[in-house]
Amino acid sequence: MSDLSAFSLQGITKEFPGVRALEDASLKVRPGEVHGLVGENGAGKSTVIKVLAGIYRPEAGNITIGTQTLSPATPESVHAAGVRFIHQELHLVPHFTITESVFLGQERVGRFGLDTAGMRADAEAFLRDMLGVTLPGNRLIRDLGTAERKLVQIARALIDGAAKVVVFDEPTAPLASDEVDTVMRAIRRLKEQGIAILYVSHYLSEITDICDRVTVFRQGKTVGVFDDITDASGSDLVYAMVGRDIADMFPKKGTRQTGTGFAIDGLSDGKTFEGISISVGKGEILGIAGLIGSGREELIDTIYGLTKAGSGSFTFEGQPLQIKSAAQAVRAGIVLVPRDRRHDGLVLPMTVAENTTLATLERNATFGLENRRAVSNSTEAQIKALDIRPPNPNAVTRLLSGGNQQKVVLARWMAKSARVFIFDEPTVGVDVGAKAEIYQLIEDLAAGGACVIVSSSDPVELQGVCDRIAVMMRGAIIAELPTEGLSVDTLVAATTGAVDARELADAS
Amino acid sequence: MDRTQNPIVNILLRFGFLVVFAGFFILFAAWNPVFLQGGNLLNIVEGASVLMILALGMTLIVATGGIDLSVGIALDFGAAFAVVAMKSYGLDWFGAACAGLIGGSLVGIFNAILVVGLRISPFLATLSTFFIGSSVQRIFTNGGGPISHRRMPEEFRNLALGDIFGVPTEAVIAFVLVVIYFLILERSIWGRRIHAMGMQRSASIVAGIRVNRILILCFVGASVTCAVAGLIAAANIRMFTPLSGFSYLLDAIAAVFIGAALHPRGRPNVPGTVAGVLFLGMVANGLNLMGLNFNTKDALQGIILLSALALAVAQQRARNR
Amino acid sequence: MQADPTRKRGVTDLVGSLPLIIFACVLIYISFNAPNFLTLRNLELILMQSLPVVLVCAGLGAVVMAGGDDVVSGGIDLSIPATAVLSAGITAVMLSQGWPLAICAGVALLACLSVGLLNAALVTRIGMTPLLTTLAMFVAVVGVNNVITSSRRIDVDHPWIVALRAQEIAGVPLGIIAVALVVAAIYFALHRTRWGLNLQAAGGSRDAAEISGLPVSRLFGQSFVLASGTGYICGFFVLARGSGSSPGVQDNLMLEMVLATFLGAAFSTRRVVTMWGAVLGAVLVAAISIGFKSIGVNVFWTGLIKGSLIVIVVALSALAQRGR
Repeated sequence: MSDLSAFSLQGITKEFPGVRALEDASLKVRPGEVHGLVGENGAGKSTVIKVLAGIYRPEAGNITIGTQTLSPATPESVHAAGVRFIHQELHLVPHFTITESVFLGQERVGRFGLDTAGMRADAEAFLRDMLGVTLPGNRLIRDLGTAERKLVQIARALIDGAAKVVVFDEPTAPLASDEVDTVMRAIRRLKEQGIAILYVSHYLSEITDICDRVTVFRQGKTVGVFDDITDASGSDLVYAMVGRDIADMFPKKGTRQTGTGFAIDGLSDGKTFEGISISVGKGEILGIAGLIGSGREELIDTIYGLTKAGSGSFTFEGQPLQIKSAAQAVRAGIVLVPRDRRHDGLVLPMTVAENTTLATLERNATFGLENRRAVSNSTEAQIKALDIRPPNPNAVTRLLSGGNQQKVVLARWMAKSARVFIFDEPTVGVDVGAKAEIYQLIEDLAAGGACVIVSSSDPVELQGVCDRIAVMMRGAIIAELPTEGLSVDTLVAATTGAVDARELADAS
Repeated sequence: MDRTQNPIVNILLRFGFLVVFAGFFILFAAWNPVFLQGGNLLNIVEGASVLMILALGMTLIVATGGIDLSVGIALDFGAAFAVVAMKSYGLDWFGAACAGLIGGSLVGIFNAILVVGLRISPFLATLSTFFIGSSVQRIFTNGGGPISHRRMPEEFRNLALGDIFGVPTEAVIAFVLVVIYFLILERSIWGRRIHAMGMQRSASIVAGIRVNRILILCFVGASVTCAVAGLIAAANIRMFTPLSGFSYLLDAIAAVFIGAALHPRGRPNVPGTVAGVLFLGMVANGLNLMGLNFNTKDALQGIILLSALALAVAQQRARNR
Repeated sequence: MQADPTRKRGVTDLVGSLPLIIFACVLIYISFNAPNFLTLRNLELILMQSLPVVLVCAGLGAVVMAGGDDVVSGGIDLSIPATAVLSAGITAVMLSQGWPLAICAGVALLACLSVGLLNAALVTRIGMTPLLTTLAMFVAVVGVNNVITSSRRIDVDHPWIVALRAQEIAGVPLGIIAVALVVAAIYFALHRTRWGLNLQAAGGSRDAAEISGLPVSRLFGQSFVLASGTGYICGFFVLARGSGSSPGVQDNLMLEMVLATFLGAAFSTRRVVTMWGAVLGAVLVAAISIGFKSIGVNVFWTGLIKGSLIVIVVALSALAQRGR
């Protein structure tokens, strides 16, 4: 029984110039199970997936799918053997319909050109029967929510009915927590059909929630296979991944001096949120919790001047501030570490040095001309302070890992010595090790007297990092909860509206 | 694409543009010894001055992530305002030059309104500026006849025909502008901001860069630069010829993109643009000296331009592999 | 708390259809001031006038659909008008030397398709941006064509070419029927076949198409060949309209083509460049040109009017986009 596998990779070794990405790694998934694959960034997860996909050819090792051994595995032979990949990015054409997207590249042709009606009926039936959602086939992708797009992407991979193994690569990364359930339900349904599933994710709560077994990778090697996964397995997994405990992830909260800092009064954008008043003292970390659609993202964008405020005012130490554009916010000492790091955080084609000094250009210049030595000195200092890897000021940021990219964004603002730091989803797509470092940096900022706002969809993160959490729902702040003594479950309940948060606030 | 093992192919790919540059140089020199004479080389530089100035303006706009199809209009306006200022209002050469620059800046201001104010993409915005600017010239000149000014002040004429220590004034002007542009775009903090917003607008906004202000300044700056070229063109022939700027458009774009392809990271840059302009100038001059028929020369120039662009891009790719 | 979404959608739709409404108003204004503007005869004239532009617009529409509508980095083919004059030039020169039309047309076809193939190779193999490639190609092809025709005007009186202008079938000019057939064929290829849908996917989201295993580069390359084909056919209408090959047609054709195609994007509900939008744009631009001429607006003003049209229409559609 245990020898039976949907697919197995054995003794895989893959080298790149100067790096051994995989070393004698193995991975075995049984039919009809959901198998988790976890590991820090750089542990070799994405490399092993690409080996399975036939994109990389390993130096050594066997790839067996069902009963046949593929040597070499090519994208075509892997596809023919029934392996399907659901990539992290959605990759859909915005102005295509659901039907067109599901059948993209595998269109059916009737006598008079495309068989539009038949394809539409099949796409709708598949979404309904296999994935459990009812959607009209002629709706445009751009009118769908993120979870629905994910399901369309899944339908596209499975519509031909030949799938035996489905690999999900970070399927929930772009989703809000309520949307995650939709996708999880769909995955459970697939499992019931006897399809083997490889589930790759940074979110350990999802892994323990949905997976039957888990394989852990570290530094290109298989370091453990866990057979009995329960909700309590999370800390064991973290230990296997990084070799330390989950409690160590969050820094000790120091005692800090407090004083009036940054305050927002009666802020509205006229569309998604209204009458928001919050304040964050110096040396305080304020969390903002809220589901997608609660107005949390819009609030952050408005505070930072990226979208226009309808009404409301800002003060710092009681002095009124004008924030009508991001440039004004930055000049007032308010800085943002944005949620979409690759789009908004970094100028990706530029180097680490160019990105780190982008907000402090004047400091390293005389009469507007850049002093290159000063630039490289200050960058090297920041690289050292934040432990950015590789420690090369001239590395192009596009090629850095998520955690290191995030550190470059932070380095830019540290150099600016800002007074108010806003973090929007600071650890999305960041591996466990770098996460701990980023949490420590946030704590250090607050300890240094800065006002810190952390907006996040991860309740564990908010509870671990913040001093106080403002919960947003439907465009309003419904409660402000101190984190001391607050359990993650209570926070989730408040965020999702399962309990009346006002009562919670009163009780505490 | 696989890495080619053949060393000759590799060298060609890596230094291809240099090899081609040198190849044409030797070919032209061998064909007609006049090509190599100091006077002729100076001719190339002098003849390329107007294009050089226009290409600098284009480099600036391409660096912001856009493109400017109205550089020719700015040139025309520069020439028209200067000539009319002298002819109809009797201004001296300096007043006329200022009038020309102001005329050119109108084009940039209009572009800035369309791009920044109305959020039209630079391609379409400057295309409509081109349509409108051409039409305005036709209406003003009643159909496109030139406005000549025989008694142009000597000082103004010297912008094109004079020399400073033996170097033609227009080449000196172009050189000064090249230095200014180099310092701004490649060495200054403003250049850094321009490149950043050109590569990733949204990230630049979050970083606190005032992108709209930069865009406006760049459009106006580029059009004023092009108006300088207009002054030189007007001084050269003592008249304003409507719609004459259009003929430089493609060469200016080509020079900028040849230059960008020569940059290790593919960024538009001033030294690259200079190399592109000199290459185009050399080819035009060399083909002239070959004594080819007008049509053949045009066709060859087009083909060489296309091949040079292809080679420059291929070379950049080879380097980044 | 929130504005009624349906009402907001309604306002956006209204703003979105403003470009068409503006065009309609201008045309109605013209027809009031020039009584014979709306006659069948005149509409026919407008269509005949727009035929060359319609053809190249259909080609450009395909390239933009395959490459994405970012003008600088996405799909664009500025060389189509040059291909058209090359087709006209080769045909005219060979006809004047006494070759039969079929051979002339064959040679022209080979020449035009090789322009398309060269564009495709430069863009997909070497990785040049389409804007740059096709702009340079435009110059090179026009240069070559000027060598072929020695920059002379060559008259053509071959009955088949004349028929494109003068022949009528059941009261409808042959030229209009021929172009309608070509456009219909391109429509079928782009919207009713796998190939066309894949082509659209390649332009709509390159990543999505690549992940789906579509040969994106090949599809993009094929769109250039298709475009050169429309340029080739357009060449014959250039010959028919001017009763011969004449230099200088290409500049105007290129400007009109770009104008019409990107105006067309403002007409489409999805706000993307489509073939229909491009064709509609071409016809409307011709209608406006002829219309203003017929109410006695000085021809010097046409550039100003066209430029302002782009500004108004594109700014409005940007506004509608922002309202979403």
